[in-house]
Amino acid sequence: MPIVIKEGSPQHWGARLLASAAMFGVVYYFYLSAKPATLESITEATIIAIAAVALNLLLGYNGQISIGHSAFAGLASFTTGYTVSAWGWGPYKALLLSIVLCFIVGFLVGLPALRLKGPYLALVTLAVAFVWPTIAAQFLDKTVKDTKLAGLRLNPPEWSGLKANRQDRAIYLYWLGFVLLLVAYVVVRNLRKSRIGRSLVAVRDNETAAAVMGVNLRLTKTITFGVSAGITAMAGWLFAAKSSAMFETDFLILQAIIYLLALFLGGAATLTGPVVGAFAYYFVNRFVKENAGDWTFLPGPLKNEAVAPFLLSIIVIVFVFIAPFGLVGFFKTQGRRFFTIAPRPLRLAVAQELQEQPSPALAGEVE
Amino acid sequence: MGEFLQYVINGLALGAIYSLVALGLVVIYRGTGHLNFAQGEMALFATFCAWWIYDHGSTMWFAVIVAAIGAFVVGGVIEFGLMRPAGKKSPLAVVVVSIAMFQGLNSFTTLLFKGSADGLAFPSLFPNKPLDFFRLGDNTVWKYQDIGVLLTVLALTGGLFLLFQKTKVGLAMRMVANNPDSAKLVGVSTTRTLMLSWGISSALGAVAGAMIGGINTNITTATMFEIFLLSSAAATLGGLDSPLGALVGGLSLGIIKSLVSHYPKDWVGSSYIGAQTAVAVAFIIILVVLVVRPSGLFGSSRVERV
Repeated sequence: MPIVIKEGSPQHWGARLLASAAMFGVVYYFYLSAKPATLESITEATIIAIAAVALNLLLGYNGQISIGHSAFAGLASFTTGYTVSAWGWGPYKALLLSIVLCFIVGFLVGLPALRLKGPYLALVTLAVAFVWPTIAAQFLDKTVKDTKLAGLRLNPPEWSGLKANRQDRAIYLYWLGFVLLLVAYVVVRNLRKSRIGRSLVAVRDNETAAAVMGVNLRLTKTITFGVSAGITAMAGWLFAAKSSAMFETDFLILQAIIYLLALFLGGAATLTGPVVGAFAYYFVNRFVKENAGDWTFLPGPLKNEAVAPFLLSIIVIVFVFIAPFGLVGFFKTQGRRFFTIAPRPLRLAVAQELQEQPSPALAGEVE
Repeated sequence: MGEFLQYVINGLALGAIYSLVALGLVVIYRGTGHLNFAQGEMALFATFCAWWIYDHGSTMWFAVIVAAIGAFVVGGVIEFGLMRPAGKKSPLAVVVVSIAMFQGLNSFTTLLFKGSADGLAFPSLFPNKPLDFFRLGDNTVWKYQDIGVLLTVLALTGGLFLLFQKTKVGLAMRMVANNPDSAKLVGVSTTRTLMLSWGISSALGAVAGAMIGGINTNITTATMFEIFLLSSAAATLGGLDSPLGALVGGLSLGIIKSLVSHYPKDWVGSSYIGAQTAVAVAFIIILVVLVVRPSGLFGSSRVERV
């Protein structure tokens, strides 16, 4: 028999607090003990995680596929790099601009998406991702007049007490990445738990039914595209902040595919899935790259560090069959054997009102 | 005028190859309603297999035919073993599996064939010596190779047309595309039909890969990606459920790409960027077409009952 915990009860709050404390504990532990190189690789994984969280909002909750999110991240990284190096902007002002710009571009990409469905939409977003490096190359060629764009290589601010060396830079970016990921997560979580989130899911599950119930399809879909692109901008900005130079090849379609695979590995349409998936993807990839050369069980030509994408693809395919909702979905179903959380009952006043008063539409009062 | 004609002719051969891959996408889309993201990489793997057979001392034609037959079988197996079970999970699962296959096959090809990432010399199926061309005008020529590619594609398309319209198998395929449930009720084996669709699509990809190898005179693991993108764009332009649309879309995209990558020379800079810009322009055209006609030029828009 599983233990039933009521939503909103002290036990539920206790469990939530415990989970948050454990997460902060792990983050703090890495900050105290990890080497700069480890912190840097965690920051790289965080970049994927932020983008995957953004993609989850769009694909997991709203059902619109995008293979073009690398373009948004690239746009944000170039916007940041250029405004800081050419116009002398502060890095945080550049972050705001990147988010706004990506929101607008995402909104615009969302417009044709209104008329397109499924594979057609996938292809249009794929095209966006494919066109991005060309635009970036043109921009480098014509405006920057160089083959690369200077990154920020962001130094910690003075109030933090950190110095401008590699160690402290890694620590600062680690915390910055954590904060950005937390912001992305909280935005998506709050959207999901709100009325807007319910309309997103309604649109995903049945557009016609959602429209009949009064959801504004056009606005919902385009704004979701915009918000998702805006969140992805944070990933691009973080990339710009950590790099010393940026190239047009930094955000190829491959990146967008990695976001997608990471999302599915962790579990689409779960809140923590994209984060778990991104870290799993990044570190499995890294582990295979470093060790595959020594693995004797791999047959001849596969005993190569380049085997990582191949193995990861197989893992993702296997996951589709054994755990369709990814790692998080898998742990959720397993956890349900021990704990279940009973949802909060409908509030009494609302329930009574619903029972007693016939809706105006039924009573024929609406013209 | 001569120059313009020349670019149109150059674009035709490339466009024919886009048509062939697009046709493969359409055959699968009609049967299952899914877009096969791994189409290009499946073709890539088959092309490298053809190269391997050729490298072990056979003629190119033999190698390509063997590779195409192999691709036919493998395509059917992939449908049966991966795509159908995934389709039972959810439509999204199919997308994930095909994207994962895209990445996995590319990586597998890189691992299996040494030097494939940098490019391997690839012989042409057709004569392609410097003087192998027809002279059409003062400064307009038509290479034998381009004619060969175009004729092969037209022959394959014609064959497919006959298969769809004149044979019992084709009738079954059209039925499954139109209404799988009714097809089952009248005794059509949907499983076999879908495997056949995947097999045909995969074999078309193998032939297309071998021909693009001949035109480029080498193949790398990145070759098929751009081809896949433009072919999917061609299929979208023509309408994902229309074989005629795939042919017209592919040929026109080839011409557009050829013209765009040569004409605005001063504007786009180097030739590499020129080729990339051509793709970008092609996609923008398609975007405009799609906004006006969401199911492509020749596609049929489905009316859904709620």
